[in-house]
Amino acid sequence: MNGRGIGAVTLAALTVLLSACGTSVAPTPGPAESKIPDHTKERNIALGLAHKTAAELYDALKQEAGGGTRLNPSGLPDWTGVYTRASVNGFAFDADQAPGGLPPAKLTPEYHDKMLKRIEAVKQAVEWDPISTCAPPGHPRWLTEPFLREFIVTPDQTWLVNEMVNDIRRIYTDGRGHPPEEDRYPLYNGDSIGFWDGDKLVIHTNQLQAGIYQRSHPDYTDQVETVEIWQKAGDNLLTADVWVYDPPALAEPWYVKQSYSRLSDPNLRIRYWHCGENQNNSVFQTQTGSTQFQDFTFTGTDDRQGGKP
Amino acid sequence: MRQTVGRACIELLVAGALVISTCPAFAHHSAAMFEEKKTITVEGVVKEFQFTNPHSWLLVDVTDKSGKVTTWGFEAEGPSTLQRAGIRPSELPVGTKLTITGRPMKDGRPAAIWEFAVKADGKRLDPREGFQVK
Repeated sequence: MNGRGIGAVTLAALTVLLSACGTSVAPTPGPAESKIPDHTKERNIALGLAHKTAAELYDALKQEAGGGTRLNPSGLPDWTGVYTRASVNGFAFDADQAPGGLPPAKLTPEYHDKMLKRIEAVKQAVEWDPISTCAPPGHPRWLTEPFLREFIVTPDQTWLVNEMVNDIRRIYTDGRGHPPEEDRYPLYNGDSIGFWDGDKLVIHTNQLQAGIYQRSHPDYTDQVETVEIWQKAGDNLLTADVWVYDPPALAEPWYVKQSYSRLSDPNLRIRYWHCGENQNNSVFQTQTGSTQFQDFTFTGTDDRQGGKP
Repeated sequence: MRQTVGRACIELLVAGALVISTCPAFAHHSAAMFEEKKTITVEGVVKEFQFTNPHSWLLVDVTDKSGKVTTWGFEAEGPSTLQRAGIRPSELPVGTKLTITGRPMKDGRPAAIWEFAVKADGKRLDPREGFQVK
């Protein structure tokens, strides 16, 4: 009997033994073991500081992962289910923002002043959110919205789905790079490429539009880029380590950890989100820069006055 | 179509009750047009439940002592968040009697952010419960 025969007999015996114990052998291979270790927050902050750009950090992680691996179609990570981001101080981009405190980003003086002015205006009830027009939030704000999410993993692409305005980030993991410089232009969710390191998805995103991290938060510019490491951190938990680089606005990379929890209601489904379906949600920016509703269609008073308040 | 109101008792409790808002109420637009701390409470009947994105509107007909009917609009989160809060269209059919509390608009129009409602059977409907993770 050769070695292969011994192995087969041994495997058969093990299968019988496990069956007798009420345990079954896994039918498909799982993801390979990851080479990029999990770090503390302090270590991740240092990791961001050690690299001048998001691209440098991404390349270093890819090197650490040995170039990454293509997922085995029969052993994909199980990211199924409907998830949401739990509220952390409202919509705070950084879960470590103190209640009533400022976002803990290390901003350049110009952008620090802009943030303070925005927050002061909100205290005076002057606030306008750019998504009031039904525009998508854009990345990296995409990470903060509190609605339903799904994560669709395939060997060559992973789709990160945010229910709000049917917002999908496509992460290409087939080995392609970003488009050539001459073909780049600012996009709401940018251009995302990635690789798998075991069960960790590492993403680099560039080609983004300027925006805000969230209300009462700083601005980011169209030079913003991110690196993310997504992984399943528990049966019902997905996490993302995120490094944001944006030299005009951030004096240092902003490291945050995002968490998404799987919801237990089996009846939850993501439906088409038509942001403009109800005219009673229509708002406009006032002369002071704040937000006001257009005319409602439900009040007797408005009806009598021809729709004017 | 305006629903007939049998009886409605209006109670405008612009009482300055402090509303502690630690979780987000809106995703689509700022809530700057609403009072931050004042609340109102009215009794009425459901005229229509606009179960829509990005915000839903519960329209409530309220009749004052003189018999004048005013339709109030109470703004809440969209369908999926309301579903997570146990608030479905079947829960609030036309004609449902309820008492509802919200933060009114500063300009005096009869609209408010829906804080919570209590149906005649005592069931409480709080849209913000839809942000809980469970």
